[in-house]
Amino acid sequence: MSENVSNPLRVFWSSAVLAKRALFAWLNPAMWIMQLFGMSLFQIAFFVYVAKFVNNSEVSMEFVAIGNALQSLAYVSVFAVCNITGEEKNQGTIENLLVSPANRFSVFVGRAAFQIVNGLATVTIAFLYAALIFNVDFSQANYLGLATVILVTTFAMTGFGLMLSSLGLFLRTSMIVANIFLFIGLLLCGVNFPVSFLPGYLQPFSYAIPMTYGTEAARMAVQGASLGELSGLLGMEALVGFIVMIAGYLMFRGFEYLARSKGTLDRF
Amino acid sequence: MPRLRATAASFRHQAAMFWAEPQWIIPNIIAPFVLAMVVLMLYQEPSPEAVLYAVLGGGMMGMWGNTLYASGFSIQSDRWWGTVDAIFSAPSPLIWIIGGRTIWNALVGIVNGLFVLVAAMVIFQTPLEVADFWLFMLAFVLTLLSLATLGMLFSAAFVLTRSAQVLTNGLEFPIYVGTGSMFPIFLLPYWSHPLSYSLAPTWGIDAIRYAALPAYADGFSVGYWGDILYLAILSVLYLTVSIWLYKAVDHRARKTANLMRY
Repeated sequence: MSENVSNPLRVFWSSAVLAKRALFAWLNPAMWIMQLFGMSLFQIAFFVYVAKFVNNSEVSMEFVAIGNALQSLAYVSVFAVCNITGEEKNQGTIENLLVSPANRFSVFVGRAAFQIVNGLATVTIAFLYAALIFNVDFSQANYLGLATVILVTTFAMTGFGLMLSSLGLFLRTSMIVANIFLFIGLLLCGVNFPVSFLPGYLQPFSYAIPMTYGTEAARMAVQGASLGELSGLLGMEALVGFIVMIAGYLMFRGFEYLARSKGTLDRF
Repeated sequence: MPRLRATAASFRHQAAMFWAEPQWIIPNIIAPFVLAMVVLMLYQEPSPEAVLYAVLGGGMMGMWGNTLYASGFSIQSDRWWGTVDAIFSAPSPLIWIIGGRTIWNALVGIVNGLFVLVAAMVIFQTPLEVADFWLFMLAFVLTLLSLATLGMLFSAAFVLTRSAQVLTNGLEFPIYVGTGSMFPIFLLPYWSHPLSYSLAPTWGIDAIRYAALPAYADGFSVGYWGDILYLAILSVLYLTVSIWLYKAVDHRARKTANLMRY
């Protein structure tokens, strides 16, 4: 028994399986499929039509469609992952989870594992919309490069979501933070316009979010850039993703300590 | 009178719930505010008309976000708290109880809408100078009421499902797109126009633009008062259908006995 609990891989796997079961215990699979196919379509449509209306020569509809196709990942990797701690609170399971000797990192990364799969599916569908409905030209695309960009961005943004999730241990709800960061990416991450459009003081914040590197790399991959040409951006994205995950773990321990000492763990 | 008392009590209850956790207003403000900012950043150097166009759309989206989330969670929260069967078994029909909640949410919606307007005005240093203030206010309030009736329609349907939360999240962008909150609906595919025309807020935002923008060229041919007329007709239709739907939902919920399942 104690061997099972001290084995991080086993804890990770059981946490991942449990998270998937818990999701479908309340979410009808048909509803999940509707969400998977519907969310990105309307987000891309909204910004593509806005771009068409504004008609800025520096921002093509293709630019906007690719940016939003990748950013649709945020619903899963930021919103859903950020709410992990909040949902544990709502279900009344956070105390049991935190008093168990299981490795924290394995438990919470495991909780997010299904969302990585969910995120990959969401973005793949979003890129299909970009090609089939919004007429993005994929004739020159480096598909392997694009798949790598999607994979790295999904992992990095899930790390970002986990970092935000740690706030949910201390705050009454993580839903507010999740909502803020779900939308703020649309403004800061070069999704709808180049980061250079932003005021100088905001641009460092853009580069602290992995999605910024991802959107730029995705556009390059669609234009046919090789893996070698993408490696700089992908390396930076992976590095930022790694840093936010480590920061998230440290924040998690810090907020766990604060929540225990102030008795706010079950406040929601 | 007892029905109105139920509505008043429901209004007070909803207000108390709001003040217990006022931070919930943030999610409803952040989305329209960020979206309006994105549009203005796309312009790079927006003209005062462009700023007004974007913030008016942002204001409408602020009101819709609040209405949608309030109606989506209206019964879902009762499910979580275990109070939904008490509400259904009360002698007052459900529609009067939901009505009280909707009126409170509409008031918060005004705050949301105005916050987005004022914040964008301050950031882009453009004064809110509307062409005709009173026509603007009339269109603004009527649009809010139309959103409230649309929210009631959705909330009746949400009673039947355990997935109200998912539907709530999923309905945000479709309404932004369908109503042309940030762009004229003639940019949308022609086949989708009837869907846009069936949404009362589409007429509302057009009326708001007519009243606010001195040289509004993209408006519907029916003009300001035509917009108001269609807005009113559709809102009454939504309200009528939602009253009928609430009765049907009430009947079904008692018959299937699965109201508390979540």
